[in-house]
Amino acid sequence: MVPIADQLVDWAALGKVVVASLVAGIGVTAAFSFAVLGTTRSLEMRRARRSVEASAFAVLGALAAAVCVGAVVVGIIVMSSK
Amino acid sequence: MGSDVVFVIVVVTALAFDFTNGFHDTATAVATSISTRAMSPRLAVTMAALLNFAGAFISLKVAATVGSGIVESSAVTPTIVFAGLIGAIAWNLITWYFGLPSSSSHALIGGLVGSVIAATGTGNVIADGLVGKVIIPALIAPVLAFLVAAIGILVVYRVVAALRPGPVTGGFKLGQIASGGLLALAHGTNDAQKTMGVITLALIAHGDIAPNNFHVPEWVVISAASAIALGTYSGGWRIIRTVGSRIIKMDSAQGFSAQGAGAAVILAASHYGYPLSTTHVISGGVMGAGAAKRLSAVRWGVAGNIVGAWLLTIPAAGLMGALTYGITRIFGTGAAGPLVVSIALLLAIVAVFARRLQQGPALTAEA
Repeated sequence: MVPIADQLVDWAALGKVVVASLVAGIGVTAAFSFAVLGTTRSLEMRRARRSVEASAFAVLGALAAAVCVGAVVVGIIVMSSK
Repeated sequence: MGSDVVFVIVVVTALAFDFTNGFHDTATAVATSISTRAMSPRLAVTMAALLNFAGAFISLKVAATVGSGIVESSAVTPTIVFAGLIGAIAWNLITWYFGLPSSSSHALIGGLVGSVIAATGTGNVIADGLVGKVIIPALIAPVLAFLVAAIGILVVYRVVAALRPGPVTGGFKLGQIASGGLLALAHGTNDAQKTMGVITLALIAHGDIAPNNFHVPEWVVISAASAIALGTYSGGWRIIRTVGSRIIKMDSAQGFSAQGAGAAVILAASHYGYPLSTTHVISGGVMGAGAAKRLSAVRWGVAGNIVGAWLLTIPAAGLMGALTYGITRIFGTGAAGPLVVSIALLLAIVAVFARRLQQGPALTAEA
């Protein structure tokens, strides 16, 4: 049974699909959460006149947003590179 | 002359299938955005249609899988392709009637396999293509999307736990516009190619392309892209309502997680040439995003109906494809059979739409 399954299914390629999906899906969701966190906290700190914390959260938000934009770009490259 | 008429009928039927594919799968890209009010229904559908159109031009790898990896292209005749398409369209319409987000891709593959078996026996079905490229990924993909969305939403809730709900909801609504757009692009890339693959099969059967020289002509790409975009723009509101609000009542973070998981799985699979069901993936993502928050948040009865439709799709479309082939052959090998079946299907579609119109609009304000 196993050898037949091995003949029919490219498990290595499927494994790569699983790993890529987990890393990209969870990674992008997490990165976007940090973008929301950074942006929201940065605005709150600015209103409280705590400029150092505001800047730190702004940097966090910007970096996380950059990761998300990068992921979208990679996604489009993946689609078009065939 | 007769074969030319059959070929034209096949191309028109393939484009009609592509239209139903877009119509049936609009929910894939827009349901969660509409449900969380990230976008208005009309704007979401317009954006999805435009990105579906653009996505169809991006890649041709899945077209090659459908056109040359599921059945032996040298054994295919235009009538076989026609019967497979009718099987797929019929199953798409049945599942649309019941608001079930089943897979148009599997309907197409099932229909094609059924008509090939009816015409030539099982010898011309490429088993490793069907099992390795379709059935196994079909089992893995929704579970994978479920897991990715479930873990993703748990991470989201942990990161934004201390924030006020207003900015979080607003932020994720913005994110949903981007993730929904990416999903629509991926859907166009993935699904429009299946019709391209089928039309190319018909071109091979008609003798316009050599079986060992599989390539998709430009006019096929443009017409398939246009048909799926028009179908998407028409909006399959019944399925949008099922995916957007009947599986779970979702917030914008859950919508984003489901769409992000869906896009990640579809793009990863598309990269390796798997003709994945975008519908299965997004439905799995929606269930995962709901179940991770609270198991009872998912309406498991609705989810069960959806999974039942998934399991039935390939055999049911296959049976319809085989039956259609049998009916077509009653009228001989010429154009009469496809013509009679096409007219019968058109009449059935008109009857179904008339019945649905009598029952009123399917989309409510909440959907």
